[in-house]
Amino acid sequence: MDNCLLVNHLTKAYGSLTVLDNWNLNIRRGQRLVLLGPSGAGKTTFLRLVAGLEMPSSGCIDSFNQKIGYVFQEPRLIPWRSVKNNLLFVKQNGDFSGILDRLRLTGFEDYLPSQLSGGMRQRVNLARALITQPDLLILDEAFSSLDLRVKASIMSDIYHLWRENPFTLIAVTHDLKEALYLADRIIILSPRPAHIMHDMKIDLGPERSLASPDLLGMESRLIDIMCNMQTEV
Amino acid sequence: MRSLFHGLLGIIIFLAVWQALAMMVNKSIIPAPSETLALLADLLFSSRILLAVWETAWKVFLSLLLVMLIGMPVGLFMGLSDTLYDMFRPVIMVIQAVPVISWLSLVIFAWGIGWKGPVFIAFLSLLPISILTTVSGVRNLDKNLLEMARLYRVPAIRIFKDIYLGSLLPFIIAILDVSIGQAWKVILVAEYLSGGSGLGVEILRMRMNIDFPGVWALTLIAVLLGIVTERLIKTGLGRVSARWTIAC
Repeated sequence: MDNCLLVNHLTKAYGSLTVLDNWNLNIRRGQRLVLLGPSGAGKTTFLRLVAGLEMPSSGCIDSFNQKIGYVFQEPRLIPWRSVKNNLLFVKQNGDFSGILDRLRLTGFEDYLPSQLSGGMRQRVNLARALITQPDLLILDEAFSSLDLRVKASIMSDIYHLWRENPFTLIAVTHDLKEALYLADRIIILSPRPAHIMHDMKIDLGPERSLASPDLLGMESRLIDIMCNMQTEV
Repeated sequence: MRSLFHGLLGIIIFLAVWQALAMMVNKSIIPAPSETLALLADLLFSSRILLAVWETAWKVFLSLLLVMLIGMPVGLFMGLSDTLYDMFRPVIMVIQAVPVISWLSLVIFAWGIGWKGPVFIAFLSLLPISILTTVSGVRNLDKNLLEMARLYRVPAIRIFKDIYLGSLLPFIIAILDVSIGQAWKVILVAEYLSGGSGLGVEILRMRMNIDFPGVWALTLIAVLLGIVTERLIKTGLGRVSARWTIAC
């Protein structure tokens, strides 16, 4: 697989506060990378740097992506626009019916965001990212406000969409099961200023389930690593 | 139904207080409601008064139109640029603080008697409200939406139409809400003081003829016009806003 992102000596500081410290990373096209780490470690900052929403203090990110889809933590839908018009806002032409159908939003095209549940709004957020046919999909704690059933359903959607058309995925989460379900690579970060502490390959096979013994076993391993890491820190 | 009943009760109390005042004070200064309302009915069919209403009304609408057309773009740019805001805010504060009477002296010298003076004074009185409300609208804009638009490389024209206009719509309604009543008042005062034609001039004529019931009746016409235009514009804007939300 060829490269999707090359991160070279990336550092990001806000004044005297260094958030990311000298990151070097190579993310391959089609890889599913999940970042885990304590709050305030700079996970979202990294995503924003990748998306070009912020500039590095030093170092660089060589991005070989043409299109980025970003699923924000909060849906960021235009409140006075219908679902359909929220999608049209980012892409004026094209047939969205496939994505809407896939994400079970068919029939809700003319609804305003305020008329949808939190889970549905997050699905629209995901649909908006997917209709641009991104090479890189970024998930920034995208499911943190959702209940387990809705979360599992949307994660399953993303995983199956990835299997149909493998895009590169970079996600940030605090939920270990969510990380293991989505990832084929997990990076564990230290507290701020964030360093890459562990870089793990996740191989759970193509059929994923949140309740599979393999996934639960990996979850225990991750918990051990993260607890030991906090003790070391 | 209950609000209608409360509204009617309020009007009855107002009329009762008016009647009581008319009985206590000299009737030529505060005429009885019945006398004023009878005169009002007569005036509403007078072609002279109807022409005066028309003269005042178009000045009100012209000044509102100018305020919206000039104030909102200026407010938009000031909201977007801190430099422009810092540069022009003191000027706007000065315009806001200058009394109507000072502008009036200026316009009488400049243009003499006519429609330009009242329109210009109403425009200057309402311009700061329009600019500063638009600035607030732009500054309250959801920055996350703008960031989302930037990420998806949405063209500027679509960002303006879908995000800026949508966010500013409640502020546009607020500007009109505050400005309509104010515009009627300022135009009437300007007409009264600078002459020319219109309802303000008719009030002046009634006062010079010491016809106080006439002054009160014309005042009631002005109040009714203010309420009716406010209702009409608000209903119209509400429809436009609903249609815009669904269609665009």
